[in-house]
Amino acid sequence: MGKKVIHNNIRKLRFSKDEMTQQQLADEVGVSRQTIVAIEKEKYSPSLELAFRIARVFDRSLEGVFFYQEGNLKE
Amino acid sequence: MSYREKESLINIFSGLLITGIYAWIIYQKQLAGQFDLTVNYNKWGEILLIFMGISIVARIVIYIVFHIINAIATREEDIPKEDERDKLVKLKSTRNSHYVFSGGFVLGILALAIGMPVYWIFVAFVASALLSEIMDNASQIYYYRRGI
Repeated sequence: MGKKVIHNNIRKLRFSKDEMTQQQLADEVGVSRQTIVAIEKEKYSPSLELAFRIARVFDRSLEGVFFYQEGNLKE
Repeated sequence: MSYREKESLINIFSGLLITGIYAWIIYQKQLAGQFDLTVNYNKWGEILLIFMGISIVARIVIYIVFHIINAIATREEDIPKEDERDKLVKLKSTRNSHYVFSGGFVLGILALAIGMPVYWIFVAFVASALLSEIMDNASQIYYYRRGI
């Protein structure tokens, strides 16, 4: 069984939203910038609540920001 | 390196420093014959209580100095607020720390069971307390770096 990871496209969405910085996103969703960095690098899978808050910032559904896939996409 | 990682490193070094200095002072007193910790078990209680007090005060001082130096170096005065990731890292690190402390406790009991002197249990307490703290902070650095 491959490694199960939650992937995301936050980085892409930030740039398409007026080049929003990690700090701005962090402030909007109420976490530290380091946590946003960790989520973008897929070193941390956010809670459902935080995932919804991030999705709301980009006016997307949860699946529009996060997606679940077995195995590493980069492999 | 993030604020939390630096904080964990400071905790490891301050733990080693404070415990090391205090243990050395107590050992010198033992060698000088001021007390005999191999037979006077009540003295262990007194020494450990004083150590707890000294440790708390020293850590507060070290933490204040660290915060001042960090604020000057990074020009960030605010301590980052703890979010869900920080809490999860702390939770997992505390779990690892408890494993180490429990292991040390069991080793101390085992030492008694196989006929080692009674004072070994106190040595096991101090050693496992120090090791569990190192494990706690090292785990935090590990989880922050590697991810959770």
